[in-house]
Parts: sequence; structure tokens; C-alpha cells
Amino acid sequence: MIKLVNLHKSYPIGKTDKLHVLKGINLHIKEGEFVSIMGSSGSGKSTLLNIVGLLDSHDEGEYYLNGQKIENLNETKAAVLRNKFLGFVFQSFNLISYKTALENVALPLYYQGMKRKERQKIAMEYLDKVGLKNWANHLPSELSGGQKQRVAIARALVTKPKVILADEPTGALDSTTTDSVMELLKEINDEGMTVFVITHEEEVAEQTKRIVRLKDGIIISDEKTR
Amino acid sequence: MFDRDLWAEIFHSIKKNKLRTFLTGFSVAWGIFILVLLLASVNGMKNGFVNEFKDDATNSVFVIPNSTTLPYDGFEAGRRIKFTNDDLKYIQGNFKEDIEYITPRFRKGITAKYKKETGSYTVRAVMPDHQKIEKTIITDGRYLNENDIDKKLKVAVIGKKIKEDLFGDENPIGKTIILNNSTFNVIGVFEDEGNDRENRILYVPVSTLQRLYKNTDQINSIVLTYNPKYSLAEALEFSDRLETIMKRRHRVNPEDQRGVFVRNYAEQFSNVNNFTMMLTAISVFVGILILVAGIIGIGNILVFIIKERTKEIGIRKAIGAKPSQIINLVILESVFITTISGIGGMLFAMGLVKLVGKGINSPAFSNPQVKMSTVIIATSILIIAGILAGLIPAIKAARVKPIEALNAD
Repeated sequence: MIKLVNLHKSYPIGKTDKLHVLKGINLHIKEGEFVSIMGSSGSGKSTLLNIVGLLDSHDEGEYYLNGQKIENLNETKAAVLRNKFLGFVFQSFNLISYKTALENVALPLYYQGMKRKERQKIAMEYLDKVGLKNWANHLPSELSGGQKQRVAIARALVTKPKVILADEPTGALDSTTTDSVMELLKEINDEGMTVFVITHEEEVAEQTKRIVRLKDGIIISDEKTR
Repeated sequence: MFDRDLWAEIFHSIKKNKLRTFLTGFSVAWGIFILVLLLASVNGMKNGFVNEFKDDATNSVFVIPNSTTLPYDGFEAGRRIKFTNDDLKYIQGNFKEDIEYITPRFRKGITAKYKKETGSYTVRAVMPDHQKIEKTIITDGRYLNENDIDKKLKVAVIGKKIKEDLFGDENPIGKTIILNNSTFNVIGVFEDEGNDRENRILYVPVSTLQRLYKNTDQINSIVLTYNPKYSLAEALEFSDRLETIMKRRHRVNPEDQRGVFVRNYAEQFSNVNNFTMMLTAISVFVGILILVAGIIGIGNILVFIIKERTKEIGIRKAIGAKPSQIINLVILESVFITTISGIGGMLFAMGLVKLVGKGINSPAFSNPQVKMSTVIIATSILIIAGILAGLIPAIKAARVKPIEALNAD
């Protein structure tokens, strides 16, 4: 599903200096895997997720998404691929503040060109799946952190993507809601979806099936849990 | 562009962002409002000036003979030019298209006597058209008519002051007064808005007075009004043509400033015209500056809006929005707001001008108004330019990598 070969990424600092963030990543994630990327801040894990999520581009190496080599992608093509293959869950939820839970979930379907009635029906199904059917018409500001993240997960799932990319999905949540969000991700993985989680919390990583540890831009360990 | 869902998105974002919508809308409406008021005020000033000069400067032209100052065609300078009835007929015959009203003026000083009262006055012998040219107001009885001229009747229309002097409280209509040695029947009393002298005049038929003065055919001057449909240029062309022909007819040097003197009020009027043209030029200049300020204002607000929405744009891109869809969304929203508020500001200003403008009619400022087409063009320019100003940041925002947009705050 996701294949990275000797991937490099650096960011310019000032005019001449460069910060080398990813120093040759080799990673192969098969369909249906539940993988977590562990690492302290500055290890390059967020950069890795952004590149995998087509939110950012890599400098060197190769990246295959669903067998398709990613190179020279313009924004329009990237938008189509993201909409088709990827679902995002962010630490800060990134819901649109003036749209209700239902409208937020339905938005990716709008960009697929789906009719209004149909997308509202499907969005409602997914809200039901994350247990928030009764909150459909509430604005994000009226929801708790855990509820917001579940709305975000419903939004990520609504297009039936191949991969769910979660960047510190529990970073802003307390331990109880963290567990419920991780339960939800597990459920999704059990249904066969590839889930790719980035975290710095051991407890979160341990609930996944494979842990990849990153330090200073290189993979230092890659092992299955249990 | 006519995608129902896109518009639903736009209305949604407008409804949920009232302050932003208000700020954009207000700046557009304000710009148009100021512009319309400026144009209306300038037009009001113009109308005021034109009205001011219109009272004096009707479309009248005076043709006055005098002594020549230059030798010409074998004649020496200092020759006295005189007009006769033939000159009147000549002008009437040759300038039919150009003339609205025409009358000769033949003037004599006389002594008028009624019962025991006497006084010295000027008698002005004219034709009926004179009333229209001088705008004489009849307060009692009637003015001279064609029949009086044809039959050379001894009738007189007397000024308000003469009536007061000679008749006191008595009704003068139908009474007989003695002018020098002839008896005249008073047929009317008039009032002139000019000074007292204008009200101490008697009007009698030109034919009658000429008969009394040894059957002369002499007249002092010719007064006429030109075709009221004429533009200023046409009016000036006409009076130049008239002057040339009258000078040729009386063998006066074309360069002679006095021999035959044609005075056209339109010339004074042209100075006013130059002045109002200057006013128009200034208003166009200031109007353009206001438009530019408006455009910059709209552009600024759009830049601000896009900045504010950067994160939202990042989210939309992350879940699959194409750059073109982002640009459409942002620009159509601002197009919608600017158009609605632009038209709103325009209508509000036009309404205000209509409402208040009617009440204002002072010498310097009268009937302020604007042409609908001017306002519509200005509104369109403001809207289009404002959008172009917003397009640049919108495109930039849509091209930014989504991760940068997401990290923005």
C-alpha cells in the first residue's frame, strides 16, 4: 500500500543552511496493517506523515502509494489522490468551525462531486458509526475534544479511503477519551483499512500492531507488537 | 459557477461570518456611496451656475448700428450707420431658421400727460415679439398685437411706475393719455423685474411712432432671440454669420468693432460653460481617486479574509479540494458580497440624492443628480477591480502546500 525507498527530506533554514529531517527512510506498509510511528519531537515523524499524506513533497528517494509512483505531483492531482486514497486525522482536529458536525463529515464527499442529499445520508451513517448521531447538528465548539476527534475520524472515513493517516490523534485528549479513540481506530483496522498513526505515547503505540521507531530522521527499530 | 452546492457553500460561509461579510460589503457600499454623492454634488453646482446665468443670458442677440471706426470701400471712418425697416425684413427673410423672436426698437423721449399729471418718459416702439424677448409681465390689460402694428393704432402699454405717477389709484385701461401732441389709448400695464427705469417705459407699435415722426422708416436697433434648440457653438456661429452679413450690407469694415455691433449673450454663457467643464474634469479626477481608494480597500479586505481562511483552505485541501475549487469558493464569495453591497450603496446614494436633491434649489447649488449609466459603470469597475485585487492572494493561497496552510494560524 505504502512503499518508501531511501526517502530524504530537508528544509531550508535561512538562506544557506538546511535542516536534514529525513535521512533515507525505507518502509513498506501492506494493506490492512495498523502501524504506529514513534519518536520524540524533531525525529521527523510528522514530516514523514505529511509526505505520505501528500501534504508535502520529498526531495530524494521513491514513494509508491497503492503501487503508483508519486513524483511531479501538482496540487490538483494531489487533491484527487488525497480525496480517493487518504483520510486524515489531526491532533488539533482541524474541523471547519462554522460548519456542523454533519457538514464537516460530508465535505469530502462534496469534493467528490456527490449530490447533497446522498452525501448527507452517508455522512449521517458515519456519524452514527462513531456514536455521534445525536450531535450531527452541533458546531465543533459545542463538542468535547473526544467528540471532535470522532467527528474528524468520521470525516476521514467517509470517502472509504485506503489509508487513514493519524497525526497524534490523541495528543489533545485525556486518557479515557484516548482509549475510546484508539478503540475506534482498532475497529476501523479490523474492517480491513490500513491505519497509520504517529505518536510519542508508548501506551498509544502499544495498541497498534506494528511499531516503527524514528530517531533523527532514520528508522532505528521496526517490530510487531505481541 | 452555477453549481447549486457551491452557492450553498458560499451562502453558508457568508451567514456564518457576518463581520467579515459586513466589512467587505461596507467598504464597497461606502465607496460607491461617496462617489455618487460627489458626482451629484458637482452636477448640483453646475446646475446652480447654469441657472444663475440663464436668468440674464437668455438666447437674446442685440444688433446695434453705430459710427464706423475704420475706413472701408471708399468711405471714411466716422460714418454713422443707420438701420431701417428694410434691415429688419432682410434679417427676417434671410435667417428664418435661426430666429425665434425678432423685433425692432425705435426709441424716443417724450412727455406724457393725463389730466393734470405730466412726466418725461422713454417710449420704446416695438413689435409684439418684444414681450417674449424682454419677458415683460402684463399685470393689467394686454400687450401690443399684430393688429396694432398693421393699423398703426395709437395704443400704449405703460410701465407700473408711469401708472403710479399719472393715474394714482385710477384704472388706466381705456383712458387716453397725451404723448407730446398725440393722444394714445392705454391698453395695458406691465411690470418688469428690472430697475425703476425699466418700469418708466411706454411700449407703442413701431409703425405708429414712425408715422408720427414724419413717416420715418428708421429704427435704433434690432433685438432677436435665436433658435432655442441651438447649442452654444451653433449660436455663436449664427451671431458671427449675422454680424458678417450686416457689415457687408452696410459696407462696414469686417474688422470694425463698432460700425455694426452684434452682442450675443451666448458668449458670456460660454465662460460659464468653460467653468462647468472644469468642474466636470475635477470631479472625474477625484472620482477616479475615490475608485482607486475603494479598489485598494476591497483588495486589502480580501487579502485579510484569505489570510484568515488559510487554515480552512488547508483543511479543505487535505480532504480533497482542488486549487481551482478553492479559488472559486473564495472569489465567488467576494464577488457576491461586493456586487450586492455595491448595488446597495449605489441605490442608497441615488435614493438620497433623489430625496434631498428636489428640495435644494439655491443659486449656487440646484437639482443635484447623476446619470444612471455613470453610476453603473463606476460600480462595475469597483467590483471587477476589487475581484482582480483579491484574485492574486486567492491563487497564492490555493497553491500553498496544504501542510503550510494547516500550520498557519
